[in-house]
Amino acid sequence: MSSAVQVEDVTKNYTTSVRKGLLRREKRVVKALKGVSFTVSYGEVFGLLGPNGAGKTTTIKILATLLIPDSGKATVCGYDVVEDPEMVRDSIGVTLTVEKGFFWKLTGRENLKYFGMLRGLSGKKLNERVNDLLETLGLNKLGASDRFYEEYSLGMKARLCLARALLTDPPILMLDEPTLGLDPPSAREIRNLLVMLARNRKAVLVTTHNMFEAELICDRVAIIDEGRIISIGPVQELKRRVADKIAVDILVSNPAIGLEIMRKRLRTVIETVGVGVDERGGVYVRFTCRSGEEDKMIADVIKSLGDLKVRIYRVNVEEPTLEDVFISLTGKAGEA
Amino acid sequence: MVDWRDILKAQLFSTVCWYRNNKWMLITTFVWPYLMVGTIFGIGMALGSLEEYAERVGVVNPALYLLASSAVAMSSVYIMYSITGFVLENRWIGTLPYLLLSPAKTHTVIVFSSLPDALTSPVFTAIAIIPAAVYFEGFTGALRIFIVLLITILGMLPLMGLSVIMASTILFLKEESNIMGSVVPFILLVSGVYYPIEVLPRVLQVISQFVPVTYVVEATKIVSTYLTSEARMLMVALYMIGLLTVGYNLLATLAMTKVERAIKSKGAL
Repeated sequence: MSSAVQVEDVTKNYTTSVRKGLLRREKRVVKALKGVSFTVSYGEVFGLLGPNGAGKTTTIKILATLLIPDSGKATVCGYDVVEDPEMVRDSIGVTLTVEKGFFWKLTGRENLKYFGMLRGLSGKKLNERVNDLLETLGLNKLGASDRFYEEYSLGMKARLCLARALLTDPPILMLDEPTLGLDPPSAREIRNLLVMLARNRKAVLVTTHNMFEAELICDRVAIIDEGRIISIGPVQELKRRVADKIAVDILVSNPAIGLEIMRKRLRTVIETVGVGVDERGGVYVRFTCRSGEEDKMIADVIKSLGDLKVRIYRVNVEEPTLEDVFISLTGKAGEA
Repeated sequence: MVDWRDILKAQLFSTVCWYRNNKWMLITTFVWPYLMVGTIFGIGMALGSLEEYAERVGVVNPALYLLASSAVAMSSVYIMYSITGFVLENRWIGTLPYLLLSPAKTHTVIVFSSLPDALTSPVFTAIAIIPAAVYFEGFTGALRIFIVLLITILGMLPLMGLSVIMASTILFLKEESNIMGSVVPFILLVSGVYYPIEVLPRVLQVISQFVPVTYVVEATKIVSTYLTSEARMLMVALYMIGLLTVGYNLLATLAMTKVERAIKSKGAL
C-alpha cells in the first residue's frame, strides 16, 4: 500500500503567556509535538489515539496546512504541507470539531452548497453531490436537509460535518474526534461509514481518545502522549506487544476453610493471587499471567481449588483491551 | 484548482441565502442610511442651519450631499469592516478553518469572501437613498447617486489590501475585538467627511492625502455640486484613487505571504 500521509520527525512549539500579577505576563513555550513520525496508507483507517492535549489536533492541523510545523517534513498525497499547501488542501476532507463550523442561518443544504463552491464544485455536479451526501449521511431521512443549522442536534451536526469533508470525494480524510458527544446509534453509523470509506481505498486518519472506537474501526493505531508517539501498529499487535499479561477471574463457592487459608494455599501455586468478595457477595480468585501461560496456570489453580473442596462457578479470561495498552504505555487512565 | 471566481460565486450564493433567510436584516439594510442621516440632520439643525453648513462645506444641496456623503463614507470604509469582520465572525462561529481549507491562496479566500458583503453595502445604500435623491432633484439626482456609487466602489479598492493586513493582524494578535472600531473613526476624521480637511491640523492634513476615502469624499462633493469647472479635480481624485489602489494592494500582497506564514506558525487559526 502506498503512503497517503507521511509524517517525519515533525515538531511544533506554541508560545503562550501566563498572567503574573496585574500587568506582567510570563511567556511559556508549550512543546505540542516532539518529533512525530507515522504514515497512513490508502485503504486503511489510522487512529491517532491520545488523551486531551496530547498533540492530536495539532498534528491534524499541520497535515491540513492550517499550521506550519517548526521542523520535520509532512506530505499528504505526495505534496509537501508547507511547499504545496493548495495541492494538499485539494486532496483532503477535514473535520476539526463536530459541534460548530457552519453558518447558523443557512440550511444544511445551503451550507453544503456553499462549502462545495469553495472547493470548486458548481452547477449540476454540485447539486447532485450535495443530494447524494444528504441521503448517504441520513440527513434527508432526519428531515434536516432544509432546516437551519441552528436547529440541528449534535448528531445532525456531526453528519453534516462528515458530508462537508466528503464533498469533493477526496482520497484522504482527516477527522478530529468525529463521534465526540454523539449518541451511540449516531456514533455507530459514523464509524460504519468510515470503515466503508476505507474499504473504498480512501485513507482515513481519525483522532480519538475513545479506546473502544479505535479498537473497533482502526486498522492501525498510533498512541500519542505529550507530543510523542509512544507506540504504533495494528491494534492486535499493540495489544500483544505491550499487554503481555492476561487477567483471569474465577468465581468460586465460599470456602469452608476461610478466605485467608485459601489465599495461602493458592500462593503455593501462584505467587501473586487475589482472593476477595465482590459487591454481590461472590467469592473470586484473581490472578494475572503472561500471555500463553494462562492454560497451565488456570489448570494448577483449579486443581488446588478442587483439593480445597471449593466449587467453581465461572472462569473468565480477559484479553487486554486497547485501554489496557494505553494505560500501560502512558500511565494514564483512558476513556472507554 | 479553485480561483477567485469560485470564492466570489460561493460568497454571493451565501449572501443571497443570508438575506433570503433573514428578511429583517434586508429591511434594516435599506433603512439605516435614513436613520443615520436623520440623526445627523437632527443634531445639525439643533446646533446650526443647513444654509451655514452649505456655505462652509461648499455644496449646492446640503441635504442630498449629507445623505450621499454619509452613505459614501460608511460604505467606502465598510470594506474594512467586511474583511476584518469576516475574519472575526468566522473565527467565532468556527467556520474560518473550513474557509481556509479551500484550495486557493489564503488572502484570495479572505478578500473575495468579504467582497460580496462589502459591495452589497454601497449598492443597497444607493438603492435606499435614490428615492430621496429623486425627491430632492428628480432624475439627475438619481443619476448622480449612481455615479457616486461607482466612485464609492472604486474607493474601496485601495482599502482591500490594507484590510487584509488588518484582518491578519487581528488573527496574529489573537485579538477578539474589532480593531476597526478605532481605525475607522480616524479615517473618517481625516478624510473630510464631517469636517473640511482645511480645518484639520497640518499633520492630519498630510495624513489625509494618503487616505483613499479623502478622494472618494472629494469626488462625491464635486458630483453633488454640478460644477463643471471642478471636472479636472474629479479626474485628479480618481487618479489618486487608482494610484493608492495599486500602491496599497502591492504592499499588501508583498506583506501577505509573510503575515500568512506568521499566523500559521503561531497557530492562530
